Amino acid sequence: MTAAAPVFQDSSRPAFIEFAADRREPDAIARLRRAAFDRFETLGLPTRQQEAWRLTDLSALKAMTFQRPADALIDAGALPTLGLPAHRLAFVNGRFAPGLSHLREMPDRALIASLDQALLAYPQWIEPYLDRLPGLAQHPFTALNTAFWEDGAFVHLSRGTVVETPIHLIFHAAGGDSTVYPRLLLVLDEGAQATVVVEYQGTGRYLNAPVTEARLGDGAALHYHQIQQESPQAFHLGGIRLQQGRNSEANLHLLSVGGQLARTDLEALLDGEGASCTLNGLTLARDQQFSDVHVRVDHAQPHGSSQQRFKSVLDGKARTVFDGMIHVRPHAQKTDARQVSRNLLLSRQAQAHSNPRLEILADDVKCGHGSTTGFLDPDAEFYLRARGIPAAQARAILVHAFANDSLNSIRLTPLRERLARLLAADLALDIMEGE
Amino acid sequence: MRAYIVESRRESSIMLEIRNLHATVDGREILNGIDLIVRPGEVHAIMGPNGSGKSTLANVIAGREGYLVTEGAIHFDGKNLLDMAPETRACEGLFLAFQYPVEIPGVANLYFLKAAVNAVRKYRGEPPVDAMDFWDLVHERMELVKMDESMLKRSVNEGFSGGEKKRNEVFQMAVLQPRFAVLDETDSGLDIDALKVVADGVNALRSPERGFLVITHYQRLLDYIVPDHVHVLFNGRIVRSGGKELALELEEQGYALYNEEPGRARRAAA
Repeated sequence: MTAAAPVFQDSSRPAFIEFAADRREPDAIARLRRAAFDRFETLGLPTRQQEAWRLTDLSALKAMTFQRPADALIDAGALPTLGLPAHRLAFVNGRFAPGLSHLREMPDRALIASLDQALLAYPQWIEPYLDRLPGLAQHPFTALNTAFWEDGAFVHLSRGTVVETPIHLIFHAAGGDSTVYPRLLLVLDEGAQATVVVEYQGTGRYLNAPVTEARLGDGAALHYHQIQQESPQAFHLGGIRLQQGRNSEANLHLLSVGGQLARTDLEALLDGEGASCTLNGLTLARDQQFSDVHVRVDHAQPHGSSQQRFKSVLDGKARTVFDGMIHVRPHAQKTDARQVSRNLLLSRQAQAHSNPRLEILADDVKCGHGSTTGFLDPDAEFYLRARGIPAAQARAILVHAFANDSLNSIRLTPLRERLARLLAADLALDIMEGE
Repeated sequence: MRAYIVESRRESSIMLEIRNLHATVDGREILNGIDLIVRPGEVHAIMGPNGSGKSTLANVIAGREGYLVTEGAIHFDGKNLLDMAPETRACEGLFLAFQYPVEIPGVANLYFLKAAVNAVRKYRGEPPVDAMDFWDLVHERMELVKMDESMLKRSVNEGFSGGEKKRNEVFQMAVLQPRFAVLDETDSGLDIDALKVVADGVNALRSPERGFLVITHYQRLLDYIVPDHVHVLFNGRIVRSGGKELALELEEQGYALYNEEPGRARRAAA
């Protein structure tokens, strides 16, 4: 029980009962919430005695007295745009904001909507998938999200449906010591294709504990971008579940910039033969920031391939954690799984932890991992300076080159360019416009 | 010392002046009192066996960290070079062609060059280079070193062959148009065709206003870049100077002559 931690209000049963009583939704979903809250109570808030949370210090979060958020109005100008025609759904404090959203003409057999609204209209499309995907069973914040989510996005593409227009999902938290639990459910049936951009941002102090669930049918393709740019006081504790069918393709970009404490737990299950999964992560952390990624890629079927490429740039007294597991089940022969973790330290006080792990239970596989942590290459810096480039600019160019490499595979050009500028601004890099 | 600077300024035809230069690396004395004067338009070759201090001299001139000048001075156009940061030296018109050009993943060659050109222009109080002018210059200079256009988009030196790296050094020199260039063993690791390309590039840049210091272990390069003066560096000192024929002499006799009696050379230095 959580009696010992009364300050974290959502963790109390009365708060849950009060919240659940106000919901109007199908019984199946209400049962799901109750089960999830029971699970959360059993798990409790993580402590550093638990191996998976050994390096994640939640004491600052546990000292908070968070409440459910009030409704808030924000100016449309405070929200990012993609620079491209997009299906745009905006949420403020976890609640759908129709005035800030814009849905373009939808292809047949595609639904892109607020999850809460879709649940009223099409519960039969949601119930089979919501919280049914495997993974994150031990993740208390996923349980908390399942218990408390108010809204989020539902994307359902029927067999063969290709949505070229990017789906832009923006979650803005207005602070005030509140909690938000965005829920994203992406269901791509056989051969469907979608490009999704999720942005988390906000002002003031809050906890954002989002959960994304993506299920890819056979031959489906998902290009997913997650941009975590929370306010400097925010806590971000997110979960991503991914389940992939035969020959499906998932490309995920995870950019983490904001928050005083940010952690994403991701579990991918490659559940069909020949599934391919690429995870590209980039974390920037400075001052006292803590940023953490826990990844588990589970190869359950033969001929799958996965690539994990995680980078971080640390300044000040920042700390980052990368914990990446490649698990290959006995049956998953001919798996090709790679993992690389690279950390660039800009300060002597910064700390990067890399924890690559392999569990290979099949004998005919190609698996590899590598991890490097280091400072800027003094030889490279001298080389640039010897050509006339001032020291500060030389360092900026090198840092940007290290980080920008993670963005190069983003196909949405305006987004890639915006993120490159974001990098430069966040790292306070004095960089001239390139070619 | 001050009187000396005034004097060197008066002597306007001196470009680079090295006087009694002593330098240590990790506390070890590598340069033991080098004197050298280069005037505009001149090509000086520095030859010497491994460990004689050739690359140390190049790095001290360029301002690399870890090389400590304990005595002596270097003046460039009468200005105290040793007081300047590496980037300031470059902006003043100095160029080092690296013996081991550094690979810089993620920084495109063209971007790097433009940043360098604009840094120098900014130092001179000039506006950034016009994009079209820059493109024209780059293309013209690429032909000089027979460089493929695809190398512009590739990351600086990343995955380049040894020959491509050296060619890229000469290409950068051709674009930056320094007034004084130090070529640190630019010939090492090159086959004869690549050597000719590199030498042609350097020769095309020879002019009455530009000085060169060509550092090499082998005489071969000097068949293609014909120097005005040749100096033999040994145990951190210039032990012999002469015309281009000195290089041929060394080719025949090797450095054995100097290796045989290092003690005498060192005593003479003392």
